[in-house]
Amino acid sequence: MPLFGKSQKGPAEVVKALKEAVNALEKGDKKAEKAQEDVSKNLVLIKNMLYGTSESEPQTDIIVAQLAQELYNSNLLLLLVQNLNRIDFEGKKDVAQVFNNILRRQIGTRSPTVEYICTKSEILYTLMSGYEHQEIALNCGTMLRECARYEALAKIMLYSEDFYNFFRYVEVSTFDIASDAFSTFKELLTRHKLLCADFLETNYDKVFNHYQRLLNSENYVTRRQSLKLLGELLLDRHNFTVMTRYISNPDNLKLMMNMLKERSRNIQFEAFHVFKVFVANPNKPKPILDILLRNQDKLVEFLMKFHTDRAEDEQFNDEKAYLIRQIKELKPLPGH
Amino acid sequence: MTTFKGNFGDYKIISILGECSEGKAAVHLAKHIPSSTMVALKRFYMDKMTNAEQTYSVELEIATAKQLQHPNILQYHTNFVHGFDVYVVSPLMAYCSCRDLLNQHFNNGLPQQAILIILRDLLCALAYMHRNGYIHRAIKASHVLVSETGKSCLTGFKYSCLRVLKGKWQNNVHSFLSDPKPVLNWTSPELLEQNLQGYNDQSDMYSVGMFICELANGSEPFLGMACTLMLTEKLRGCVPQLLDCTTVPRQTEGDCVISPIIVNRRFSKDLHEVTGLCLSRNPNHRPKAGKLLNHSLFKSIKKRTLSLNELLKPALPLSDKVAFNREDVENLDVNHFSNLALCTWDF
Repeated sequence: MPLFGKSQKGPAEVVKALKEAVNALEKGDKKAEKAQEDVSKNLVLIKNMLYGTSESEPQTDIIVAQLAQELYNSNLLLLLVQNLNRIDFEGKKDVAQVFNNILRRQIGTRSPTVEYICTKSEILYTLMSGYEHQEIALNCGTMLRECARYEALAKIMLYSEDFYNFFRYVEVSTFDIASDAFSTFKELLTRHKLLCADFLETNYDKVFNHYQRLLNSENYVTRRQSLKLLGELLLDRHNFTVMTRYISNPDNLKLMMNMLKERSRNIQFEAFHVFKVFVANPNKPKPILDILLRNQDKLVEFLMKFHTDRAEDEQFNDEKAYLIRQIKELKPLPGH
Repeated sequence: MTTFKGNFGDYKIISILGECSEGKAAVHLAKHIPSSTMVALKRFYMDKMTNAEQTYSVELEIATAKQLQHPNILQYHTNFVHGFDVYVVSPLMAYCSCRDLLNQHFNNGLPQQAILIILRDLLCALAYMHRNGYIHRAIKASHVLVSETGKSCLTGFKYSCLRVLKGKWQNNVHSFLSDPKPVLNWTSPELLEQNLQGYNDQSDMYSVGMFICELANGSEPFLGMACTLMLTEKLRGCVPQLLDCTTVPRQTEGDCVISPIIVNRRFSKDLHEVTGLCLSRNPNHRPKAGKLLNHSLFKSIKKRTLSLNELLKPALPLSDKVAFNREDVENLDVNHFSNLALCTWDF
């Protein structure tokens, strides 16, 4: 006797049952408890069709195709994501697992679920707002990062106004949620090189205005993570235009020079990797050159003593020696 | 229900319970001021962690624990950043870890009934994890904590991995531990081998076998043995045994002195057998966590002859050593805890 009544419920029935249960749960009337049970039960059924269990293999492609089609037609993915906070603890994880499996579905080179979500971008916006709620933040995070693997979906997220909420999410006081939001944020800004470079170029002012706040955050982890990511972004050759623009602004240089002197050694070290780009730039604008010249001796002295215990890190020592040489040789622009 | 918020000011640190992860984290006994309850405060020194792998393992440990909800898995109330450190608030486990119990009171191992009670809780936690696609990968005495009421909770999730990957259930996993040194002696041969076959959740059952030996004998398995020798021993199928009158000869030659406790005690045949099965070289011969719970071995617990608290005497829960929920806590002499500072927690 199978655990839940007739075992051979087809995809259409399960999807229908799940939809009804989620709707009942949403209404939140006295049937909610029963609805909760039904949601969990049907989620497990769908999950088992997709993943199989220890006793059974996943269902055949035909069944999975039917299931996917039912999910698209019934609009259930959106409904599940919208009601995620109402679903019980294990059910939340099942939703994420079902979502992530369906998302990866492929027919030849096509990804039908990705195409479907492109037409239902509300799913993405709802997932992004999941970071507002502690109890679903991490579940939404796993789904968002799966979505971010697909350029089309990453593009929708990057270019939406909601993207700028990430600058708030990565700074929340709960460490695990902030870190999860940061991984998603980083994925969106680095995964698809051309898309990201294009996005950063066209939205330079807005993005870096927001980014500045992260670099000045009270939260040590946020400050450290965002500084590290900044270094990675600037050193990626796809972002050449963005980098050139960033290292032409004397305020950015001042910020990095201050961070070189922060109490945290990790912040100092990450700041070094951004600072070096300013110095290595062969065409330094006058305001940048002026700052470096004004601090020429101090910088040389500072760098000589900077992280001298990293003897085994050859690349770092080479870079440091190079910077010291460059700074020593700095001369004012001719004619000034 | 008490809600724990991520404000550093809500917690008053009373003493240090131990250091872990080579000094990159510490566990404190602390008081949650709004509710006057005692909690364990684990503190990760983030600025001491220089590479991304280390900081990632902190994220992973907390995120994994949050995805697991079971009475025998240590729950985290909340976590937050303060200064350069990340803090995790969890319920106080008043007997600390099984490793601490062995170190302080049971150098020759725990009595069989105590082992069984702890083992049953551990298996419940593991069965739940395996059902949900997690492999713990670091079962050892220091990762099993005992509460004031004698309930055991599993922790140490920075080593765990998920079998659900890329939208698929992986029959076998091939990833290796990122910081394996502290757990190598408990690790299964197939995981250490790192061959194409990989390993699955039965790898944990091998570590359970090691864990039983550790609780019964008091010492870590393969203690003091070079890693390469330990590996070849495991690959050859050489495993530790439960030391009692059936496995240790009463008369020994030379200077080797064996504690009379060991030669006079006798673990049940069942326990010897189950330990042996868990330590099978072939993962398929090991019992599943969920199935092992039905073993007749655990029937003796149901009679409830003694509670775990009784069995663990002379060890006392922290609560009996501390004036709890009183203003005394404010003026507590930290030297009181000097003996506790010796214990190392390794989550």
